[in-house]
Amino acid sequence: MLSIKESKSKKLEAALAEQLKRDLDEQIENEDELFVVAEYDEAAGEKTGYSNYSYWRSTVQVFLKNKVAVFLLIVLASLLAFTFIQPHLPGQYPANLINNNPQTGKQLSNVPPSLTTVMVTAPAGTELNAAPVKNAEGWYAVDNVHESLKARTKFDLVEYGEQWCKIEYKGKTGYVKNNFQTKLKLPDDPTAVPYESRSNFKLEMYMQPVDYTNNGTSLYVEESFLTLGEKGMAVASADAPLRVLPSENAFWFGTNNIGQDLWARVWSGTRTSLAIGFIVAFFEALIGITIGVLWGYVRKLDRILTEVYNVLDNIPQTIILILISYILRPGFGTLVFAMCLTCWLGMARFIRNQIVIIRDRDYNLASRCLGTGTAKIIMKNLLPYLVSVIMLRLALSIPSAIGNEVFITYIGLGLPVDMPSLGNLINEGRKLVTSETLRYQLIFPAIVLSVVTISFYIIGNAFADAADPKNHV
Amino acid sequence: MLKYSLKRLSSSFLTLLIIISVVFILLRQMPIEGYFDNFEKADPAMIQAKLNQLGLNDPIPVQLWNFLKDLVHGDLGTSARYSVGAPIADIIAKKAPLSMKLGVLSMGLALLLGIPLGAAMARRKGGFWDKFGTVYIVFINAVPAAVYHIFIQLYGTSFLGIPMLFDEKNLITWVLPVCSMALGNTAYYAMWLRRYMVDEMNKDYVRLARAKGVSGPNIMMKHVLRNAFVPMIQYIPTSLLYTVCGSIYIESLYSIPGMGGLLVDVIGRQDNPMVQAIVMIYSCIGIVGLLLGDLLMGVIDPRISFVKKEGAR
Repeated sequence: MLSIKESKSKKLEAALAEQLKRDLDEQIENEDELFVVAEYDEAAGEKTGYSNYSYWRSTVQVFLKNKVAVFLLIVLASLLAFTFIQPHLPGQYPANLINNNPQTGKQLSNVPPSLTTVMVTAPAGTELNAAPVKNAEGWYAVDNVHESLKARTKFDLVEYGEQWCKIEYKGKTGYVKNNFQTKLKLPDDPTAVPYESRSNFKLEMYMQPVDYTNNGTSLYVEESFLTLGEKGMAVASADAPLRVLPSENAFWFGTNNIGQDLWARVWSGTRTSLAIGFIVAFFEALIGITIGVLWGYVRKLDRILTEVYNVLDNIPQTIILILISYILRPGFGTLVFAMCLTCWLGMARFIRNQIVIIRDRDYNLASRCLGTGTAKIIMKNLLPYLVSVIMLRLALSIPSAIGNEVFITYIGLGLPVDMPSLGNLINEGRKLVTSETLRYQLIFPAIVLSVVTISFYIIGNAFADAADPKNHV
Repeated sequence: MLKYSLKRLSSSFLTLLIIISVVFILLRQMPIEGYFDNFEKADPAMIQAKLNQLGLNDPIPVQLWNFLKDLVHGDLGTSARYSVGAPIADIIAKKAPLSMKLGVLSMGLALLLGIPLGAAMARRKGGFWDKFGTVYIVFINAVPAAVYHIFIQLYGTSFLGIPMLFDEKNLITWVLPVCSMALGNTAYYAMWLRRYMVDEMNKDYVRLARAKGVSGPNIMMKHVLRNAFVPMIQYIPTSLLYTVCGSIYIESLYSIPGMGGLLVDVIGRQDNPMVQAIVMIYSCIGIVGLLLGDLLMGVIDPRISFVKKEGAR
């Protein structure tokens, strides 16, 4: 009851009522002149001045002056368009696809956000091991591991370096890392080569003093960068970008803990949330206007509907939301149904109050006397006058419906996880919030959600100001 | 006044009865798992015996009558899954005081901040405080509460270097929950107070006072603020009573053992009797709060006509 929506719509209602009153008063002031014989006045006949004031044109003009609101309107429109375009863009992962590493078959869980999958570039002429990737045509899994040495294998160290040591083992030369993880066994003067050495741990012997692996697993490269040789060997024919995945499509927003692409999920979720918002707003308008018109115009229904309204209005809306979501199976339909059950109340009361005020105004009386049908009076005489407040209420209903979805998901009654929405993305992200590195899973959906709801509110407020006749020139 | 009060009281009572019945009947449609703590292991005979013992095989009107009879005696039933066999009234009596303490503190804070903010906003329209307050109100309304509560907890606790979770004995952990809870209400109080004050300021008696030479601050404090506060009084009882329910977001975020977290818990465990009891308490509080608000308004402002109020609150 203490919402910004009520506050704004009451203010606009009052302003419009005042405007109407002023218009009608002007007519009444001229009442004496109505039946006076008009004398022929040439000057008056020549007068061409007229007021070109149009309510809607002025409203649009005032709205366009508010640069922030116009900007946000464009942002919102492009966001809405993008949610529909995004799945059709090239190289997008489906929102519910669980991405696995093609080599190990494990889920690519919690991959941090990145704009590229390129991990390292191998210069032209680099020798690499290459094997075609099973599920990705044209991609090769590459690494430069010459041989894996078991723990405590002895080898000859021929060149000592701070980070890489050149070694000989069974007639092959290669490089091993020299750091605290490999712990090579070194003499007192390690530079006095050659000498026999070994490591206490498992060791990789690389072909070059560079590690072209992703922590031990293969990297991926397109076939066109390789000149394939014998026995699974290959040479980079140009500077080859070695990628973490056999794909050029990076996870821009990272992945969640089961390896689903957050970028795709965020947009799919935005689509779901906006759909909820728009559908609820549509039903608010449909049910609210229908009931409001009946309530205001049909006198016999007034008493009954007033009682029904008082009962329903007394129940906190949150409770109805929780109760319906608890009883019915969680899902899109349930959520929309639960919100529609109460959303029309405010709208119906507003329409009713306005109709009661204006239904017996002289112009409607005149229309009725001339035999205009009730439906036509409502459509042509009553509703056009209410359009701006209806639009304001709808604009502010959408973000609150989206917020309600977040709330219901938060308490565990929302949409299932395989139907991403901003609510369940935030709810999933919230559980990981204690880990600094996984926080991105909350931050991305939270930003999109905030942009959407703030835009709606600011546009709604700017519209309310623009629709207020007091602000018209 | 008496006639109005009686009418209002009886309609509230009727609403209450309708809501309790509807909630009760709706929850009977739920699967019966929600009445057992180990449904999977129980064999059909045991299930039937338990259902009989709970009276769930009776016709629904009989069940409802029995429930209402128990309700009059303050018996809300027993928990089925959350805390097996414990009377719900006891569980709630344990949890409610903490929620209330937090709620009353945050409400006090919200009034303390919201009223000066609203008054400052109304005093100079378009001035700094008005702009600041408008941005604040739009922000609080537009950003979903879940989002800003999470971020306040996340960055607030690390910034202040205090524990993330609530501990009743450690007073410093009270700060963030109370402040977060107050944020929303501060915005509402400021928004409505500003609106009512602007309405009052345009009235003739203010112009008269100004013409008489009453000083600006005096007019604001003695005339405008007082009169503007009257319509807000209507919402005070509701807000006060709602503190019992606690804040669902805050309590589950900070693991506060109060009523708000309780609702999330029992929904998660599908404890039907508990959900039923809590939902009923919430709606009763809503109704009683509105009733008290309306009656309080009548006491404070006797001019209010009760005849015209139909459906047009």
